[in-house]
Amino acid sequence: MTNSKTRTPAALYYFLAQSFRYPEQAWLCEPYFDLLDSIVQNLDLNNDALWLRQSYCANQEGLEILQIEHTRLFINAHPAVIAPPYSSVYLDQEGNLFGPSAVWVRKFYQQHGFELSGEGDIPDHLVLELDFIALLLDEGLYDEAEQFLNEHFRKWFPLFKKRVLSGSTNKFYYTLLTLVDFFTQEEP
Amino acid sequence: MAFQMTRRSFLQASATAALTTALSGWLASGAKAQSGFVKKPFTAPGSFGNTTTVTGGICEMCFWRCQLVGKLRDGKLVKLEGNPKSVDNGASLCARGNAGVKLLYDQDRLKFPLKNVGKRGAPVWKKISWDEALDECAARLQGVIKNNGPQGIAIFPHGASATYPMHYFEHVVGTPNNSEASFFQCRGPRDIAYINTFGVEAGESVDMPNAKAILLIGTHIGENIHVSQVKQYLKGLENGAKLIVVDPRFSASAAKADIWVQIKPGTDSAFLLAIMNYLVKKGAYDKAYVQKNGEGFDKFAKAIAHAELEWAAKICDVSAAQIKEVADLLAKSAPHVSVHPGRHVTWYGNDFQRERALACLTGLLGAIGVKGGFVKAKGPKLGKVAWPDIGVEHAEQFALHKMAEKHKFSPPGTPTEMLRNTAISGKPYSIKACVIWGQNPIQTIPGQQETIKMLQQMDFVLVVDLMPTDITMYADILLPELSYLERYDIVKTGVQWDFNDKHQQYIAPRMPLVSQVSADHQRKDSVWITNELAKRLGHAKHIPAPSAEAMVDKILAAANLTLAQIKKEDGIHLQPGSNPYGAVYPIKFFNEDLAEAGYSGAPNYTPVPEPPQGFARLVYGRVPVHTFNRTMNNVWLNAEIPENPIWLSEETAHKLGLKSGDKVNLVNQDGVVSANAVTLKVTQGIRKDTIFTAHGYGTKNPAMTNAVNKGFDEQSLITNPAVDPETGAHGMRTSFVRIMKDGKILNIPS
Repeated sequence: MTNSKTRTPAALYYFLAQSFRYPEQAWLCEPYFDLLDSIVQNLDLNNDALWLRQSYCANQEGLEILQIEHTRLFINAHPAVIAPPYSSVYLDQEGNLFGPSAVWVRKFYQQHGFELSGEGDIPDHLVLELDFIALLLDEGLYDEAEQFLNEHFRKWFPLFKKRVLSGSTNKFYYTLLTLVDFFTQEEP
Repeated sequence: MAFQMTRRSFLQASATAALTTALSGWLASGAKAQSGFVKKPFTAPGSFGNTTTVTGGICEMCFWRCQLVGKLRDGKLVKLEGNPKSVDNGASLCARGNAGVKLLYDQDRLKFPLKNVGKRGAPVWKKISWDEALDECAARLQGVIKNNGPQGIAIFPHGASATYPMHYFEHVVGTPNNSEASFFQCRGPRDIAYINTFGVEAGESVDMPNAKAILLIGTHIGENIHVSQVKQYLKGLENGAKLIVVDPRFSASAAKADIWVQIKPGTDSAFLLAIMNYLVKKGAYDKAYVQKNGEGFDKFAKAIAHAELEWAAKICDVSAAQIKEVADLLAKSAPHVSVHPGRHVTWYGNDFQRERALACLTGLLGAIGVKGGFVKAKGPKLGKVAWPDIGVEHAEQFALHKMAEKHKFSPPGTPTEMLRNTAISGKPYSIKACVIWGQNPIQTIPGQQETIKMLQQMDFVLVVDLMPTDITMYADILLPELSYLERYDIVKTGVQWDFNDKHQQYIAPRMPLVSQVSADHQRKDSVWITNELAKRLGHAKHIPAPSAEAMVDKILAAANLTLAQIKKEDGIHLQPGSNPYGAVYPIKFFNEDLAEAGYSGAPNYTPVPEPPQGFARLVYGRVPVHTFNRTMNNVWLNAEIPENPIWLSEETAHKLGLKSGDKVNLVNQDGVVSANAVTLKVTQGIRKDTIFTAHGYGTKNPAMTNAVNKGFDEQSLITNPAVDPETGAHGMRTSFVRIMKDGKILNIPS
């Protein structure tokens, strides 16, 4: 669900959420890279965006490399998945999915008027959390978004990011993790 | 990267120009996926709000299939309990049953179809769509069928979900090459031996609650937990049954025994023959029953006449007096004796005859159809969903054991050893595809290097599983299955656990306790996967059930039931049962069919190789919180017993300077070293010539992140399996080991 008039900050978080979905040609397209390019330029980052566009936009071989990397980092892998994108894995003692932090997250969603669309969905997936922040911003709930970041997201994202970076040199995910970090870190 | 601005300033700046254009361009492109949320006003649930009980679960943490309910809080499964309506396990579950919650949410579970873009054994996985996965499976299986015939496909199934695809490949595709671990590495010799003695399968059909004596050969109830069986066993003991346990190790059962026979491993048949010979010679058997129902008794008596108590005492390394004590106790308690047939019986390659001996002993005692004896429950009748037999004739022609005229009393399928040898040698024909469904042949089948050779020569390997077990590393395509908590499949039936209670039958189909669908995975059930394969292989018209749910409904229809009805009945349908006592079976003391086929018509004892100088025999069993290698990654169960200990006799340990708590490895007769050093348990409760460990540890797949590097896989040490001549089943307590500590190999003193 997206409002017809999505506000700029919200759109940025939708964009970040999208970036951690499984890589498909359908979304790794020109408008995606236009936006990535624009964000990177606005931030005066080293301009990897052009390289990323060449590597992954309408490039079958590059796409497959990214798909394999996504599978290895976030789904199933040999020797082992690098970084399951769920907060429970980092915050809850047992390292299972759907631990106490996931339950906390779902309650937070509910208290702010949102429910997961699938009854079997696990609440604390990175994509869902970024989407949720976007939904809050879309409704102008800036304080609530800040609260979510502060009480939950910032507790696990750095650990997740560290694990990805320790097990991968992929530039796409490096760039996107840097952006998520920038858009979610605490500021004075 | 160093940022030139803060987020706040970025967002202020972003309201302008280029970024805004890019943002709206992206939003307008439709490349953004729907978010995974719906709007819903919040209503405070209260402290127990949103907790519901879902009925209809059937456990599969082991294969006893206790009936479950799930406690769900807001879609999350928070607890599993026995279904209070159950007349089988009742409200009880074992530790493994409770820990099912942790299987459901195991972070290492397989989630999406995967394609191996690396090598077998060193996979690189790429997530692919179901269509792509199924198309590729079908094309590659079709290729093998075209080049090699249907017999070019081997299947390795295990568990309830594997039955439907197994029948498809056997009956429709037409391959005989089916190696079921539950037969060839477990209970095959037992079932075939009892069928060839009583005419019925053994099961574990002994009426322990009403027994005056219970005889367990190697069976270690208490470490092996099947809830209703444990209840039966304990009820029997509570009612005063005398317990005889024959085991080289002081097992949980031995600890409760009235007589513990600390037998030398591999000699159980000699022990049983001597008891039977003693009872026959003394006339202390049920003459009336034997005369009326026995076949070939005189030939049998003659064949075992050599088995004197002293003869057996020497072989078994126990006293003749103790064997006599056991025989006398059995005779005194007859016919109310539970001679337990065992379950995992593939020990030494002489196992069919041991199981025959157990059945004959049961017959001698007249312990059939009477209180405390061998009693088959009278369960409810159900319908069947079956693939047509269009490929069976073809399959029969290529059944390896029939072509070679070997293992004439094989359980259904093809003996694993023959199948594997054929795949490796290409003789008498090629086996070039492998479908592995719920089984982990690396850890179930002895001779791992041969299994890997077999896999490496395949043109195609398909694996379907829940977890990234060892075998999944060898898949070309790896498909994720729904767990027992998320799917429909078998219909569990039975009767009340104690025949003294009101006679009741139950019918309990497995129903999902949690949603099958989630954004986090695309797991599917075996009926759907098999049907999709069948459609692509041109067998759409033979599909017997369009879905798992429809399959279960068809099975229930024969009992005039539906899933909807059973849901209303809280997951279990109860109906009046009938008295199971009074059944009479003919007993083939001497089996002429066996004799004609060139085997011993009377139960016999074949000696097994002795440990070489400096070695002890490796035997294995279970711990109560694990099932084979299926549960090792479960966080709760792993926390309880994370590694398999090694049991060593006190005397040996003393001589070798070892103590409890030392970290040691085992080295087998072929120089294979166990993978991880584990904790030594020094005990008086094991023979000097025997070393014990538990099965179900030591995965080699690091994707099992909880289990990896803990414990060792004793199957890796079983490099010299025996093969049971009658059934073709493996014997796996055939390995001899030494201890290794700090890299130094220590000989076991004789």
